Amino acid sequence: MRLFPLVLKNVFRKKTRTALTIASTVLPLLVICLLATFVRALERPDPAATRGMFRLVTRHQVSLAVPIPVTYADRIARLPGVVAATKFTWFGGVYVDKSAKNFFPRFAVEPETFLRVFDDARILEGSNEEWLADRTGCVVGVESYRKYGWRLGQKVTLVGDIYPVNLELTIRGVYDLPEKGTARAIFFNRTYLEEALPSSAGQTGTVYVKAADAAAAGRLPKEIDALFENSPAPTKTESEKAFQTGFIEQLGNVKLLIGAIGFVIGLVVLLISANTMALAARERVTEIAVLRTLGYTKRTVFGLVLAESLALSLTGGLLGLALFSLLEPGLKSGLSNSPAGAFASNFKLFPEVLALGFVIAVGVGVLAGVVPALRSARRPIVEGLRQVA
Amino acid sequence: MAEPFIRIENLVKAYQRDTQSLTVLSGLNLVVDEGEFLALMGPSGSGKTTLLNLVAGIDRPTSGRIAVGGQEIHGMGEAALAKWRSRNVGFIFQLYNLVPVLTAFENVELPLLLTDLSRARRRKQVELALSIVGLTDRMDHYPRQLSGGQEQRVAIARAIATDPKLLVADEPTGDLDARSGEEILVLLERLNDEFKKTVVMVTHDPRAAARAHRLVHLDKGVLKEDIRAEGGKKEVGMAAAIAASAGFEPRP
Repeated sequence: MRLFPLVLKNVFRKKTRTALTIASTVLPLLVICLLATFVRALERPDPAATRGMFRLVTRHQVSLAVPIPVTYADRIARLPGVVAATKFTWFGGVYVDKSAKNFFPRFAVEPETFLRVFDDARILEGSNEEWLADRTGCVVGVESYRKYGWRLGQKVTLVGDIYPVNLELTIRGVYDLPEKGTARAIFFNRTYLEEALPSSAGQTGTVYVKAADAAAAGRLPKEIDALFENSPAPTKTESEKAFQTGFIEQLGNVKLLIGAIGFVIGLVVLLISANTMALAARERVTEIAVLRTLGYTKRTVFGLVLAESLALSLTGGLLGLALFSLLEPGLKSGLSNSPAGAFASNFKLFPEVLALGFVIAVGVGVLAGVVPALRSARRPIVEGLRQVA
Repeated sequence: MAEPFIRIENLVKAYQRDTQSLTVLSGLNLVVDEGEFLALMGPSGSGKTTLLNLVAGIDRPTSGRIAVGGQEIHGMGEAALAKWRSRNVGFIFQLYNLVPVLTAFENVELPLLLTDLSRARRRKQVELALSIVGLTDRMDHYPRQLSGGQEQRVAIARAIATDPKLLVADEPTGDLDARSGEEILVLLERLNDEFKKTVVMVTHDPRAAARAHRLVHLDKGVLKEDIRAEGGKKEVGMAAAIAASAGFEPRP
């Protein structure tokens, strides 16, 4: 500890270089934490409460884009352990304009079964009954409701893009979900869509299934898929969270991609830090030889250089983690307004992600410093004294 | 008869350069008494700095024995030798070699950080060392804020901070103007006279050598001359000795 002030003075000896090296650690660590949090948010297990749990999603085995027959919902609903099954069709459409800020999910659903499957949804204004009574009615997520300043009874027009039809919906209810960031979608009666566009009848994008308990939720995916195994439209059934991940994974193996990006970023940080430490040690060959002359052992010199590397990377690392903690609410908000908004509720400061950032900072410090530290410690004193700084 | 402070026997130092072996010191024998002020002179490549490094324990002999203060240092392990240096030897370099990011105080404190001394005790030691070299008022200055002579005085304070018995100096006035060099020589002389430090100094400067009690001339790794000052007229005697051996010394 006595030598710590010397370590610190050496760290900040070349202020510009140190500042740039620290910055080169702060920003990548911020990105790594962001990526790790995103992956962690995808993997987060379902909440412990029964409400909202044991939900499954059945879709076409080939792709989410391929519809399945609506009759599947009724057949699934008859399986033991199924509380309810509801048809879910992605309508898409445009509201206001096509910009990302005006993007929110829009689904055609079957209101009666929808409310049984999504038993964790809470109606804040209006009522289920009003929605059920109005075929053009819809329920809207409280976040979109507030964002657009909507009122109950207001007409909302969705301009069709996937489906060549415009739908004028009437707001009959406002719902909220237990986890923030998820109550953004509009759900409307699929009968209205089928009347407006008869060709859409008979098919649904997915079927959401509410299982009775964990055991049923565990066995049902296999049973459901077995039911349609030899049909023209075989299915793939997953838990809801797995489905959401799968949705994102249609772009490729996102987790692997994120991991690879994180690894490369980490490697770049390591190389930058190693370069800084190599330069710092090379510039101080004579100084280190003088320390050895004064009685500093090889081990002490090794520790001094390594501690300097660690101090440098930890300064950057801790600043990066602090910055990430500060920016997290904004990042979450940004995510909730994106097509991946369904995961925003899970996006938070995970202790394991912060620990990962810390471990990366320590790892970079050790790996970047170990070679210069060894070289400094092993260089003969006389050779070091001969070098002119 | 008392044991000499430094005893060197059959000292050989050879370097391996690619396939060739270069012998710098060839079977050198030398004894130095405690409290002596010894000047090592000789042409470049004569082995004087190598001898100084070996005596100070920062280099290893190829063969032979070196004992300093009754301790044989030629066979010591790395850590033991480092510890021995920290307690027994003070170094003074031609280019001062102060750590630029540390103040004068912190530079002098460097060797004391390896001891068990408390912070207060270290402070006292540093202040004492700086007062001996006359730089108490500059203890918070960084090396860049000091003149060359002042930097060398801080380096001397660092060398004496742990109160070692042996001071080794490699061309301590080589980078200084005449006036500053004179101040440094007076200081070394005082450390020898007043504080009873044994001083071994490599120099090319006859005026510096004239301050010593004894002049040892090396050439091609062999001791050529060993001249001691006579009685109280040491400066005059040394000057004569240097004059007599002037042919030895290359002049810049």
